[in-house]
Amino acid sequence: MYRRILCASHGTPGAQAAEDQALHLCEADGLLYHLFVVPDFWKSMMGDDWLNNGVTRDRYGRYLENQLSEEAAQVVESLKARAEARNLRFRSEIKLGKPADCLLAASRREPFDLVVMGAPRPKGVPGLRARMVLNDLIPRLTVPLLIVPHPAS
Amino acid sequence: MVYTKKSPALLVIGILFLVIGLTTQFGMQDGLIQYLHLKKYVGEMIGISLTAGVIGIAVGLWHLFGTHREGHLDYYLSTVAGALFILIIALVVRWYLAPFVAVLSKSMGPVMGAKYLHQVLGLNYVVLGILAGIITVNVFKIPDWAENGIRLSRLGLKTGVILLGTLYSLAELSQLGRLSVVLIGFFVLGSVGLVLWMARRRNVPNSMGGVLSAGMGVCGVSATVAAAPVVQAKSVEIAYTIGTILLWGVGCMFLFPVIGQILELGYVQFGAWAGTGILNSAQVAGAALAYQPDGIETLKVAEIFNITRVLFLPIIVLWLAVWYVRREEGAEAVNVGTVVFEKFPMFVIGFILMFALSSTGIFAPANHYKGKYFDNNIPESKLLTAEEVNRLQSEFHKVQRQDRREALQRLIENRKVMSIDDDATLRGLVNAKILSKEANQLLKKAHKAVRHTAKKIKKFRQWITLLFAFGLTGLGMQITMASIKQAGGQPLIIGGVVGTAKAVLSLIVILLFVHETI
Repeated sequence: MYRRILCASHGTPGAQAAEDQALHLCEADGLLYHLFVVPDFWKSMMGDDWLNNGVTRDRYGRYLENQLSEEAAQVVESLKARAEARNLRFRSEIKLGKPADCLLAASRREPFDLVVMGAPRPKGVPGLRARMVLNDLIPRLTVPLLIVPHPAS
Repeated sequence: MVYTKKSPALLVIGILFLVIGLTTQFGMQDGLIQYLHLKKYVGEMIGISLTAGVIGIAVGLWHLFGTHREGHLDYYLSTVAGALFILIIALVVRWYLAPFVAVLSKSMGPVMGAKYLHQVLGLNYVVLGILAGIITVNVFKIPDWAENGIRLSRLGLKTGVILLGTLYSLAELSQLGRLSVVLIGFFVLGSVGLVLWMARRRNVPNSMGGVLSAGMGVCGVSATVAAAPVVQAKSVEIAYTIGTILLWGVGCMFLFPVIGQILELGYVQFGAWAGTGILNSAQVAGAALAYQPDGIETLKVAEIFNITRVLFLPIIVLWLAVWYVRREEGAEAVNVGTVVFEKFPMFVIGFILMFALSSTGIFAPANHYKGKYFDNNIPESKLLTAEEVNRLQSEFHKVQRQDRREALQRLIENRKVMSIDDDATLRGLVNAKILSKEANQLLKKAHKAVRHTAKKIKKFRQWITLLFAFGLTGLGMQITMASIKQAGGQPLIIGGVVGTAKAVLSLIVILLFVHETI
């Protein structure tokens, strides 16, 4: 069992498997720190639109921001409820950026005992393409890392 | 927030521009200009480079050494760095890279008939500029100091479209307008309907079907941006849709000109096909300029189609809003007036205003075509001499056709071309090569004397190509591989089917019904 766990998840089936393991491995009254990363490709999700005026673009920007915030809040709230049901202390952080960089930054914020994340999605399973780049992450991570297999693999 | 970044970058860009301008002006690039056949660009290489150089150095010094406070001055001057960053990439491509590609391609010899590889693939300054933009953002990233100015690329494109309004005649605009309304109306409504039908068959949520139908049917990413909030699309649905449209748009921009070259489509045919079949509006302009880099006749046709598409946008957004409210409980009802007002593209008003101004003859006589117009009110020095008239008189017997005889007779009597019809008839006589070389030279001289180039229109044409090169290079900097990679899920399947059907069917319709008569 671990006292302080950093769990990176974002609501996909693979991430939910990581959440389950993190909940399972965290001891009672331990800290479950939830990192939710909104990948930075969203910043370019207006593509090469040039026909719309500023009002329409602003409306779209606000709408997308709200959507992403709501989706993130739902995932965080769900994990928080499950953590509290198991008498765990829960803290969370929502970040916009590259998943590996955000995870590294979060891992240095507290003396974590373990980092838990889901395995990359197997080929053929639908979903957005913003994978945690393990080659960037592993050499720089100073905390033990648990990669939980994807349910579909 | 202070937008200006303390960076020497703008100063460096300014110095680079100045070096290009001065070395061109003082003949230090003559060898390169000759090798790359850049003679036609020398004027702009000096003029634009010196202007941009002075602006870059002045504002660059302010960026680097000035004290910046939050406010309008900071906001607007911070954009200069991004604008000159786009400009230097676009112009280096136009002046050096694209001509070098052309030289290389010509050294390989023709590959399709008399056409060289770069002509077949449409590898000119526009396409290479877009590619340079895409490479910049994906390989090097947009530097912080340039970010605020990159958005000016949209302003560049919209200004280009507004100026384009000066180049249409009333007849052209009305014929192209009718053609575009028919084709766009059919294919927009058809593809929106087809996407919604396929989405229902494949149990795709209404929000995804709605946003995808707007993107596939109207004007790509722009329609997706406009429709997503109205149909309450989920983030993943937006990502799939935009990824799919960008993938298709960029692919079509390269593919369409090649197919157009193979089928030897005329400018009107290609402009109409690109304007109908390419999903994303930015790539319509790119493909049109790729097809005809040294003229803007294809762009003129394609942009009319783009404008028609964008005029359809409020209607389609409204339709989708009503459609969505009927199908989804809890969906917010929309205010018709707000949707129409908000989505109406104001730059189209600018386009119409410029067209109206141009029609008054303020830039050129209203009867101009491609900036050229007929006017035989010419000074004595431009009239044919008695000796030249005698030469034409001596060959008069060679002309058999009555209309040519009459036109030539009027020329001989008045020592100048008397009407626009006579001018066309005498041009036909020259092309028929009935008269001697010397007599034909005299007819050409008489033609030149009455055909004038409207200087303002010529300048507009030059500015339009530069604004489009600037705008499209800047838009290329907003196409990230990360967003293209999101293409997937049901949108990729439905988009693939509808996009292909639209491209193929519109090509068939255009081959059957559109001819070079406009």
